[in-house]
Order: sequence, then structure tokens, then C-alpha cells
Amino acid sequence: MDHSNVRSPEGAGDNASPTLSVTVPAWKQPGVISNHRRRVMKGRIVEVLAVLCILAVLLPLGDMIYMFAYRGLQVISIPKLTTITVGSASFVSGGLANAIAGTALLISLAAAITIPIGVLGGVYMSEFSNDSRLSEGLRFAADIMAGNSSIVLGYVGYLVFVLYFGWGYSAAAGALTLSILMFPYVFRTTELALRKVPASIREAAIALGSTKTTMINRLVLRFALPGILTGIILAVGIGLSETAPLLYTALFSNYLPSGALFHEPIGYLTYVVYVYSQLPSNGAHDLAYLSSFLLISAVLVINVVARVGLRKLSKV
Amino acid sequence: MLEEEVLMNEENDALRGERQPLKRGEPSDQSAPLIQLTDFSAFYGDVEVLKNINLSIESNKITVVMGPSGCGKSTLVRTLNRMNDEVPGFRIKGKILLDGEDIYAPGVDPVLLKTRVGMVFQKPNPFPISIYDNVAFGPRIHKLAKNKEQLNAIVRESLQYAALWEEVKDRLEKNALGLSGGQQQRLCIARALAVKPEVILMDEPASALDPGATYKVEELMVELKEKYTVVLVTHNMQQAARVGTSVAFLYRGELVEFGAASDVFENPKNPLTEKYIRGIL
Repeated sequence: MDHSNVRSPEGAGDNASPTLSVTVPAWKQPGVISNHRRRVMKGRIVEVLAVLCILAVLLPLGDMIYMFAYRGLQVISIPKLTTITVGSASFVSGGLANAIAGTALLISLAAAITIPIGVLGGVYMSEFSNDSRLSEGLRFAADIMAGNSSIVLGYVGYLVFVLYFGWGYSAAAGALTLSILMFPYVFRTTELALRKVPASIREAAIALGSTKTTMINRLVLRFALPGILTGIILAVGIGLSETAPLLYTALFSNYLPSGALFHEPIGYLTYVVYVYSQLPSNGAHDLAYLSSFLLISAVLVINVVARVGLRKLSKV
Repeated sequence: MLEEEVLMNEENDALRGERQPLKRGEPSDQSAPLIQLTDFSAFYGDVEVLKNINLSIESNKITVVMGPSGCGKSTLVRTLNRMNDEVPGFRIKGKILLDGEDIYAPGVDPVLLKTRVGMVFQKPNPFPISIYDNVAFGPRIHKLAKNKEQLNAIVRESLQYAALWEEVKDRLEKNALGLSGGQQQRLCIARALAVKPEVILMDEPASALDPGATYKVEELMVELKEKYTVVLVTHNMQQAARVGTSVAFLYRGELVEFGAASDVFENPKNPLTEKYIRGIL
């Protein structure tokens, strides 16, 4: 590098200003170095802050998972999973079979209602609506549904299904209320996943003489499938974790569900967590811990399966 | 899905008695133009984008549609296969005759029309599925093959005609997105050919390709005109001069000049045409 063009300016060498030396290149002069160092320092500080934020989120989560895994695994056993809860209040023993079966039934019913309506609704919004006032209104309504507090939804479910329809505390009331909760997630993610399919694909299909329905069935849905499944899995995860909507619609039951959808209360895991954690009984606490562990594991497993499965599906 | 398509075909057969028949097959009169636009205007809402176009497109020729940006050439080409129908506010006046029949007549099925007038787009848009499934898509939805062997034959012939068969015959089940840009465009051409159209519309098919791929696509166009009729939209005047039989020059929605390629480029009659050719329009 040729430094011959770096010269000492007039008045160089006096105490008022730093000396520009002939042998040191311009970009290594003292003022310039500290600017660079300052930028590097700032970058490092922000990095550290970002890491701290991540830790602030992950540590409590990790602690929670650890605690429930520890206690849950202490308590878990085949009998605990396959026998029903016995007793209440200060004397609780038995297992979680009723709650597990109840949760499974409620989620299955809710999913069976939500998935078809949500997916078809999303297909309509993406493919057939023309961004009219009606579709804007539908979208807005779905977003509000998602934002509602679940306990209000539970109360509404109680008033409508349990009282007005006369179904009593029942699996049907609980499942329907859950499905209202889950619907917006499936609805919106389906629409978004479909909209992501590029217009060029649709154009190409139309130009080949495809009808709109064929194009949607054979191409668009196929490519939007990973996104749609994500929405469904999200909704199922949310449904699994809900308590309030079920408190007033499904109530609770210590007995295994008999399959009756009406007039028969049904148990579910989140109730166990909510109520049994506060009962003065070690047996109850054990069941509460076990339920929490089962719920966390279920959500974890569903998400992992979803990611792995979707990665495979996306490898078109 | 299959039932829906069978129903569609049955419906179409049943309705054919009430509709004007749009037959597939060789044009009845080789000397008459295959496509004839008569006093044709097109509107997006109140804006008239095509003004009183009178144009003849002859079969087995390459008709080039040229003009500055916004002159309406893409719109014109899209009216030929009714791709503009879905655009809100689009309406037309006048007639477009395909082999003597008005394609905008009330009983005409635009879906069937698209099997006779195919289209290739500027940016290659293969479906993200296998090469085979791409080409087989059209024949499958229109039930053009009775069994797997026939379908294989259609796919092979289409890829051969698009000069792509040798390059992909050993990897038909691979995803089409793994092909290069030029190969993807030839795949799109093969896909359009697989439904056995009479006319192929090409909207700047080589503008997204490098020169080598462009050359291959141009070679392909010249071969295609033996069996098909090609309508080509292009910005590239050298390309138009290389492959075009006739040239239509559009300016602000009006057909300014139309004639044999050599005439239009060497002896343009209209001063606008001359300005465009010289690059000063």
C-alpha cells in the first residue's frame, strides 16, 4: 500500500490537535479506531441483551417442563393411567383414565366439527370470495372470535347448549364450545396458506383448460397442505389446553365416558390440573402433576410430529 | 375429483346440442385465417384498452404482436383464449372468430376454448410436481388418454416436440423445479402441447431466459408452426425478425400496421412503426 500521499498538515505536532504521521495510514489514525471499537462494542452489547432475553424466556419454560416431568414421572404408572379417579376433596386416589378418555373424546369431536368447516371456510375466503364487504366482515368476525376470553365463551356455551338447547352438561356442549374456540385458527391459517400459492400456478392451470374446482383440488390444496395442517395442529394444541370453556359445559365426571353425547358430564385433564392442585390431598396433587405432565407432553409431541411430518410433506 | 370431471364432460356433451359446437380438429379451410378479429374492442371498466382491432391470424404461421409497453399486446393475446374473463370490469365489443365461430358467443365454453388455444407465459411456471405429472396434467383433467400407455405416449410426444425429451427422459419423476430456466420454459411448452391445441399463444416466452435458452425456444417456435399456429408477443425486435411470419404493430390499443415481417421491418408504412423500430418511440 502506498502511503506516500499521507502527509503532515500545516501546524502538525502542536498540542491542540493530534499528529497525522506519515507512516501510519489514514484509516488507522486514533480517532478512527475508537469509532470502530465503539461500533463493535455496541454490537456485542446488543448481542448479549438478545441472548439474555432468550434465556429469560427459555429458563422459566425449561424449569416448568423439568418440574412437571420430574413429578409427573415420579407418579406415573400403568394403574394411574388406566383407572378412574376415586373420591374427591380430601380423599382422592385412583388414576386419570376418565380424564384422559374425556379429553380424547372432546378433542376428537371438536376437531371433527372444526376442521371441515374451518378448511372449507378458508377455501371459500381465498378462492371464491372477491374481497367484498361480506368477506371482510367474516374475517373480522373470525379474528374477534379468536380474541375472546375463553371463560366468556364457556358461559355462552353454558347458556346456549346446556340450558337453551337442553343438552345439560355433556360432551356435545363441551365439544361444540371448544370447536368455536378452535375455529378461527383453522379458518385463518387455511386462507393464508392458500393465498401463498403463487398466482402463476393458478394461471398456468386455467390456461390448460382447468376449471376452478379442479385447479383447487388438484394443485392449490396440495401445495397449501403443510400450512393448513399447521393451522389444524395449532388449533388442536389450543383445544387441548383449554379449561374455562369446558368448566360450564362439560362439567366433570369421575367416570369413563359412556359414549353418550348429551346429558352426561365428562372428565378432562385440564380440570384435574385446575381443581386437584388445590385440594388438600396428596393423591389429588399427584394426579394434578401427572395431568400437567401429560398435557405438556401431548402438546410437545404434537408439535414435533407436526414439524417432522411437514418437513417431509414439503419435500415435494 | 374424477366424478366431477366425468360430470363436467357429460354436461358438456349434453349441452353441446344447445351450444354452438366448438369442434377440435383441422381448420376447415386452410386458406382462410384461423383467427379473425373483427372490429374488436376491449374495456377494463371505462378504459378502452383495445380499439377497433381488425386482424387476421393465419394458420401455421408465426404472427408477432409488438408494441411499446402498455399498448395492449398482452391484453390482445389474452382475449384470444378468454383468459381475461375473470378480470373484474372486463368487457368486449366486436367478434373474434376461431375457425369461423365467435369465441365470445353466449353458449361458448371458455374452458374448452382453452384446450384449443393454449398459452405459454413470460416467466416459466411449472407446477412444483414431477416433470411427468406436469405434462400429464392437461391430458388427465381432460381425459385425453384411456390408459397409462396412452398417457405415457402423450407425455413422451409432447416432450419430444418441445425438444426436451432427451434431457429429461431418465428423470421424469423428478420435480420440475430442478430444471434450469430454459428447460422449465420448454416444459411449459410441452405441457401446453399435451392438450393438443390448434393455437399456441406465447407472451414473451424468452424474455426471462439467457441467450442460449432463448435460441432453443426460438428454434422450437419455428418448428411449432409446422403443426400449430403461433401468436407471439415480444419486445425483442430481432427475435420478431428472426422467427416472425407476419407482424402486427400495436400502439395505445390500436392496430397501427400489419404485414409480412420483412415488409414491416424494412419498409414500414406508418411513421409510428418506423419510430418504434428505430427505438425512438
